[in-house]
Amino acid sequence: MVAAADSDGPLAGKGRAVTVRAPVAHFRKPSVLPGFGLTLGFTLSYLSIIVLVPLAALIVRSSGLGWSGFWSAVTTPRVLAAFEVSFGLSFAAALTNAVFGFLVAWVLVRYDFPGKRLVDALVDLPFALPTAVAGIALSALYAPNGWLGKPLNELLGLKVAFTPLGIAIALTFIGLPFVVRTVQPILQDLPPEEEEAAASLGASRLQTFGSVILPAILPALVTGFALSFARGVGEYGSVIFIAGNMPGLTEILPLLIVIKLEQYDYAGAAAVGTAMLGVSFVMLLILNLLQQWMRSRHAR
Amino acid sequence: MAIQVSGITKRFNDFTALDSVELEVKSGELLALLGPSGSGKTTLLRIMAGLESPDGGGLLLNGEEALGLKPRDRQVGFVFQHYALFRHMTVFENVAFGLKVRPRGQRPGASEIKRRVTELLELVQLSPFAGRYPVQLSGGQRQRVALARALAIEPKVLLLDEPFGALDAKVRKELRRWLRKLHDDIHITSVFVTHDQEEALELADRVVVMNQGRIEQIGTPAEVYDHPASAFVYEFLGQVNRFDCTVEGGIARVGDGALAIPTQGGVQGPAVAYVRPHDLGVTPASAGPARISGIHVVGPDARIDIDLAGLTLEAEMDRERLATLGIAAGDRCAIHIDRARVFAR
Repeated sequence: MVAAADSDGPLAGKGRAVTVRAPVAHFRKPSVLPGFGLTLGFTLSYLSIIVLVPLAALIVRSSGLGWSGFWSAVTTPRVLAAFEVSFGLSFAAALTNAVFGFLVAWVLVRYDFPGKRLVDALVDLPFALPTAVAGIALSALYAPNGWLGKPLNELLGLKVAFTPLGIAIALTFIGLPFVVRTVQPILQDLPPEEEEAAASLGASRLQTFGSVILPAILPALVTGFALSFARGVGEYGSVIFIAGNMPGLTEILPLLIVIKLEQYDYAGAAAVGTAMLGVSFVMLLILNLLQQWMRSRHAR
Repeated sequence: MAIQVSGITKRFNDFTALDSVELEVKSGELLALLGPSGSGKTTLLRIMAGLESPDGGGLLLNGEEALGLKPRDRQVGFVFQHYALFRHMTVFENVAFGLKVRPRGQRPGASEIKRRVTELLELVQLSPFAGRYPVQLSGGQRQRVALARALAIEPKVLLLDEPFGALDAKVRKELRRWLRKLHDDIHITSVFVTHDQEEALELADRVVVMNQGRIEQIGTPAEVYDHPASAFVYEFLGQVNRFDCTVEGGIARVGDGALAIPTQGGVQGPAVAYVRPHDLGVTPASAGPARISGIHVVGPDARIDIDLAGLTLEAEMDRERLATLGIAAGDRCAIHIDRARVFAR
């Protein structure tokens, strides 16, 4: 492999009577790092076994319905409503996390205060807690007679548990660490000189934030948003307790799939799963492209 | 605009970075703050810019009290050692930044901004690079962008923190000349920090030598080099031979009388004598007290290591002179000292 990379270098065979081989069409750029074939092969087989094969099985299972069967299975009003609930609320929760997760990361990086380590550790709790436990805790808290649910209901007339708002709160809870943990290291590495330069050039704190800090961390923020969003779409355990699960109103897609499985409608469940997969894939792809575009603006 | 620093003190925990520093920067001059790392020179510069606040003392910018002002209100251009360019902005946007962030009333129009930035990029000879991002530029080009960006706000004072520190030797020299020429053209009051004595002596109108948070000497490059005020200044500015000696009746005796150096000034008793390598003369003498232990030719000059009764000395001369003397390593020789400075120990 290395020999092939050498022979078609710009100086190969110059001034000497050696057989000049036609340049090999390269699928990759020549690199000094060895093991490209091995690592790529391993990566592809690993991804196939872990990710692609199960997903393919899902698609194969749903293909039994035929195109029209598939279409009618995923366009029933109940499924469409669940789509709206799952993707809409995940989006809202991810957006909330992007704003407040950034704030948490900012405070953890920029300020020193007693108990900082403790707060830092607290951020990871939603990762570690079994989601069902989180769901039960949240629904107890926000139920009409719960600690928070009762005053919210009496003072503001706000019902949280068993409404879309409750689902959004559960999804915000489980998605928070993703934003904090992706933004934190980038914020940490941000050189203070750029902010000082902005200040000495006459920028206010707000202008410095908007034109120096935010553009630098935006790619990380989008990553955190995407992770939080993807996690929200697939979330099951914490949501079903607080959602109330009313078809068409607070029923999420993963729950709908479980319901279909319980009714032995395997093909229907697979069809909904496949549709969900498709939408998620397209949205994550768009977010990835967006990030690539942002990075390319200053890392060419 | 003149800068007046009076009694500025700054501590970081137990470390005293600046110890009641007094300094006056004259309007239109190019001043160097020279010193080893930890001497407080960068801290002093950052206090002038408002990026650091002192524990005590006063600072006047053009006669007005400035310590209460935020960096953005001081009209000071600051150039960082590692450029600190905005990575996600093009060269043009970087230079335009200071104009674009002005409050609505004072902000020039888009075409005026374009004209000013174009003019500045011409000044720093980077017009063809306006559309590039900082990562696509070399170190020297980045530093010139940083300079143009600082000049864009029409600052009253230009402060440069080790502006050539991150560049390689050749670029550093070029940029140094270029900055001197730029200063001669626009005459903006400028202060730059450096630990490189050659840079300070070549570039500055006046040099401030700093050590351990205090100012050791202020003077023109010739003054500080020829008449160093303290042993530290002598040692810091250029190569030096250092002897422990005893001064009696104007004669400094080194070791067991191996060398006697005439001195001026009223120093008596134990002292330290300093001799620059080019002030140390060597003559071949078969019965001389010293021995040549090595000769190193560096470009047009020759450095000669001399062993004198256990002391290692260094002499410097050009290669022609070396050839005339006809000395080689291992020869015995006599040494004579034209000029020495003696400081009491």
